[in-house]
Amino acid sequence: MSLSIPNSEILLAFKAGRAFRREGSSAVEPSRTKGAIYLTNGDDGLLHFIWVNRETNTIEEDLILFPFDASFLKVSESPGRVYVLKFSSSNQRHFFWLQDASSARDEEFTENVNGLLRDPEFDLRWNVPIASTAPEASAARPSGTSTFQATPDQLATLSQMLSSITGAASGSFCLIYSGVASHTPALEPDVSLIDILTPANLTPLFNNHPELIPALFPQLPPDLPVPPSAEALQRIIHSPQFRAAVSNFDQALRTGLLGGLVRTLGLPEEAGTGVGPFLRAIQEQADRERNNNMDTD
Amino acid sequence: MSVDDETSGWQLTESDPGVFTELLKSLGLPLIVDDLYSLDPESLATLQPLHALIFLFKWIPTSSNSVAPQRAGSDDPDFPGFFAHQVVNNACATLAVLNALGNIPSLNSGPQLADLLQFTAHMDPQTRGLVITSADWLREVHNALSPPSAFSLDGLGLPKKTEDAYHFVVYLPVMGALYELDGLKPYALRHGVYNESGEGWLKIARDVIEDRIKTYPVGALEFNLLALRDDPLPSLQSQLEYYQSIGDTCSTSDILGRITDEISKRERWAFENSLRRHNHVGLVQALLLSLAKAGRLSAAEEGARKALKDRLEQQKARGEDMQED
Repeated sequence: MSLSIPNSEILLAFKAGRAFRREGSSAVEPSRTKGAIYLTNGDDGLLHFIWVNRETNTIEEDLILFPFDASFLKVSESPGRVYVLKFSSSNQRHFFWLQDASSARDEEFTENVNGLLRDPEFDLRWNVPIASTAPEASAARPSGTSTFQATPDQLATLSQMLSSITGAASGSFCLIYSGVASHTPALEPDVSLIDILTPANLTPLFNNHPELIPALFPQLPPDLPVPPSAEALQRIIHSPQFRAAVSNFDQALRTGLLGGLVRTLGLPEEAGTGVGPFLRAIQEQADRERNNNMDTD
Repeated sequence: MSVDDETSGWQLTESDPGVFTELLKSLGLPLIVDDLYSLDPESLATLQPLHALIFLFKWIPTSSNSVAPQRAGSDDPDFPGFFAHQVVNNACATLAVLNALGNIPSLNSGPQLADLLQFTAHMDPQTRGLVITSADWLREVHNALSPPSAFSLDGLGLPKKTEDAYHFVVYLPVMGALYELDGLKPYALRHGVYNESGEGWLKIARDVIEDRIKTYPVGALEFNLLALRDDPLPSLQSQLEYYQSIGDTCSTSDILGRITDEISKRERWAFENSLRRHNHVGLVQALLLSLAKAGRLSAAEEGARKALKDRLEQQKARGEDMQED
């Protein structure tokens, strides 16, 4: 199944329903509708706080949030698991109640939501490893089911549903401005390939996945005076020549004009429009190759 | 005065002993270039025979002005040797090497270089610079050590490389006097005659260079000293044979150690030069793909996002500091 909104845009997701203030009173009543809160890094580069109705598969709330403008707080006056999304720039209040079967992780979700509301690039913190097979994912930006408390099927349904409504969210849509335009994450520069292809990232890759190393050998200089090996790769990734090449390519990618070049690498032209699109295309290439391998196995 | 780098066809090369040595090898010369970490007599003695010192520097302008060096030398419009002006910025390293080579007596060069040196022998420095930088074969030798242009970065509006700011000055003996050849100056600079005995020209060169370094405010100068010298390997090999033949095991192991050092240095240069010539884009893609297959790409991306954030915060902090000043 192909999803046009990549899972990698989803920063955090958990089950929650909405709650409403009763007319003429301060009491808040939970609605029985099943839902989920999504924090996504939209393709506009902005942090979206989305509430999805899990019964109708529709987005009923899509709020664009700027850093430090909103906070997600427990309503201490309420006996249940009721939370409020408050804004410093307005009197708006959005109430939710957590619907995860267990309340054991409410606090973790809340802390992570607030982390992202302060800083869309916040490192999510989890007390327990989420996927036992990949404990390092707990510190990582989730790219799949790792932070969602639902089954992969549910997630897929939600993702598909999100993708069907790209851009034009139904329900209320409000844009809250805070400060000047330079504070918007969309205008911040993209990540650098130099910070990704670091020895700190690559050395554990070589050590833990020796099976991936031979595929790199055809890309080494043909006149290397030593035979291709993991050791030669180590020397290369530490070399100023390689670092300079990565930096040049990174800069060239930032011009967004490398569509023609990336086609020669077997990637879609769109991958040449920036570092982010390039990385997404690589991730898709990896996923595709993995699926192909599974098909042939 | 300078020809536009983008149209000259000369690519920027690194100023590294391995690059210079590869250039000399391509020119068919039994010479190498080594980094020089000290100007003290003992360090220089181990590098003999030494033909020239190349002083490579980047001057970072600061608020304080540099003082004029006491040993500035004097213009010599009648310089009897070979001196060419730097007319193409990217060619500066190769031009500095040629300014040195053109003044080495009985240079055993290949026919192309010999022809070029002979052809330009009676030209003025400016014409000589133009003729040298229009030699296609020399440009090809020079460009062979710069990264291939997998993608044309011209016209993408990328910031200029900082290496552009490097400048090369050659110090060497010509007809009994120490000369300074700076391709951006109109004339060769004469620093006076030297005494053939003892260290010879190196004694004056040390004083001149140290004096020059002192004229820049502290921290305003990044420099590198390179030595153009005979390839020591043939001589070391004949010494090895000699000591082995007379059964001097102590000297034999000493020479063997030096040969091993030389060979591992050459291996390192060959390794680095192969990286310089290589187009790494395919490797970049393959490495990222491996990270993705191992499920590590998004974590690495997250780390990069954090690194970026930290840099932006530092920049912001610095910016605020500056405003407070």
